Amino acid sequence: MTPHTPIQARTGLPAWALGLTVFVLLVGAVYAGSNLSGENPPIIGGPSASAGGGGPAAALAIINQAGCKACHGQDLNGQPPTFPSLHGLQNGPTVDNLQQLGKAHPKDWMNIWIAGTDKSVSDPAMRKGMPAFSGPPQNLTDAQIEIVVQYLLTLK
Amino acid sequence: MTRKLRPYDVPPRRRRALIPASSDSAAALFMVVGVLWLLVATGIGVLAAGERLFPDILKFTFSVPVGSGITVDVSRSTVDAAFLDALVYGWLTNAGIAAILFITPRLTGERLMSDTIANLGLGAWNLAIAAGIALLYVKGASSAGALAEFPLPVKLLALLGLFTVNGVFWRTVLPTRTIGYISLLYFGIGLLAALGLLALATIPNVLSLGATNDQLLWAFTARGIVTYWVLGVTLGTLYYLVPRVARNPLYSGPLAMLAFVGWLGFAGLSAIGALVDPSVPYAVTTIGQAGTLLLLAPTYLAIANMLATIRGRWSLFLSPGVIPLAVAAMTMLAGAALLESVGALRSVQRLTTGTDWGLGVLVISLLGGSTLAFFAFIEHAAPRMLKRAWRGTLMTLGELWATFAGVTLAGLAMILGGLAHGSLLAQGGTPDQLNLTLLGFRLVAAAGLGLAALGGLTLVVNLFTLYTAGEPVEVLALAPQPQDAGAPRGAGALEPAGR
Repeated sequence: MTPHTPIQARTGLPAWALGLTVFVLLVGAVYAGSNLSGENPPIIGGPSASAGGGGPAAALAIINQAGCKACHGQDLNGQPPTFPSLHGLQNGPTVDNLQQLGKAHPKDWMNIWIAGTDKSVSDPAMRKGMPAFSGPPQNLTDAQIEIVVQYLLTLK
Repeated sequence: MTRKLRPYDVPPRRRRALIPASSDSAAALFMVVGVLWLLVATGIGVLAAGERLFPDILKFTFSVPVGSGITVDVSRSTVDAAFLDALVYGWLTNAGIAAILFITPRLTGERLMSDTIANLGLGAWNLAIAAGIALLYVKGASSAGALAEFPLPVKLLALLGLFTVNGVFWRTVLPTRTIGYISLLYFGIGLLAALGLLALATIPNVLSLGATNDQLLWAFTARGIVTYWVLGVTLGTLYYLVPRVARNPLYSGPLAMLAFVGWLGFAGLSAIGALVDPSVPYAVTTIGQAGTLLLLAPTYLAIANMLATIRGRWSLFLSPGVIPLAVAAMTMLAGAALLESVGALRSVQRLTTGTDWGLGVLVISLLGGSTLAFFAFIEHAAPRMLKRAWRGTLMTLGELWATFAGVTLAGLAMILGGLAHGSLLAQGGTPDQLNLTLLGFRLVAAAGLGLAALGGLTLVVNLFTLYTAGEPVEVLALAPQPQDAGAPRGAGALEPAGR
């Protein structure tokens, strides 16, 4: 048999506790009241840092968080031929296996490749998209991919 | 009735069950398994810190020729997920359930409904968590979503474990009508919430809701597990330990109830704040984030209540034991609550999302606050469960300071590194600049997590020494500890063995 060892408590609610509660409630109400309109960033893919605004900062946030650098290197120069460089893509793909995709979709071949939506790629494992071809829901959203693509197009 | 032995009779051998069903056996087993998980979690934590320093070196992908082939992937994302899972579901959940199973009979005055059934829950839960963490490394076996990513069979087994523990708790408490004890209120809600949230996280494994809804559900679950389950069971444990060891009545019962009601509401709101996606109305997410900010109030009220309970017994703080550990835990919890509130603000979120800020706050809250609270629980409960005469030693101080210093270092390094990371990104910093700037922060974080791992190891050594070197006692009249000097001998001072 376990000994019955109850905890005793004093009665009475101190005034400072009520004051602190009211103060924090007011701060919360003011914060909520002043932040009621706007748009949340996307949740899918995890990296949502600054993704709403686009630009290099947002792109780098997505690239860092998505783990692109694990294969493509810290400077995104890759380790060819296994992991291609992500520099110099302004004129189309630089690796052989993507030349066909580049010709068929000259404007958005990168978006298709990262999203893994190219139906002409016969190997399903290679159609699952980046990062790391792991398939949804790890894939990036269209908006995030566009931010990354715009950034990659600036890398010489 | 004793049977008279004939000369050639051999006295019947006493059979010992592999898992004894005696009082506190389930609590003791949950505690021991939890401590082993702590070693695993801190070890993975050190590896996670290493992944940040050497992402290319510590990345392994290899195939195992089993069936159609299994690809094992050890990388930053899988190691981070395994660290949080081992910490929350391995260490903190086992330690939390140990605390619940130890404290509940003492508050209700009734023996636990069944230690054997609780032990079955222990087996199911830990089998599930071990399998779930192993499957994290198998490519394609788990989904993405911290604390909710296990495959369906693993989740079902874990649900069975939690359901069993819930059953034992409620079947013990409800007939006694003693749920009014503040610790039991926290335990009850925490257990129900953990069961409900894990069941919620199972829905995407069964129904196709779409990738975005799956992620939202998992984000809600993960936040709810931290605010309802981990924070709840931590506060419930401290509410038992502090008055018991300080030998003072709780400073204020109504204050404890006010803090409890606040926690009950704001912990749920805070989980809604994790629903960050364009498909969720902005105002709803904001109100949820305000919930995280408001969670500050009940946390601080609870801590203030317990600190006020120690009033007049501050000398306890000077000797190794429960009170220094509890005070350190409350300090960490207060810091983490403040950092979470700041981190919930939209402007801060924009700067810190995708950086190590979030992990740093979790390290302070979970590996700091909750871990130290359960260290305090083990310091109090282990001699009683293992029936050894024992008092705080230098190793207790080692546990305290190694964990406190390690977690502070690691947490602050991650938080400050996260701020630097976000600032550099906002200024359009290059990858080279980022890596160079973050190197120092990552080194300090790795050292801090190493120190925290050492704290966990010290706890194991302390427990081992207690069991092997502590004097076994039939009637556990613990010699008055330095911290007990002068205290009246009451119901908590003497505990007969086997109780």
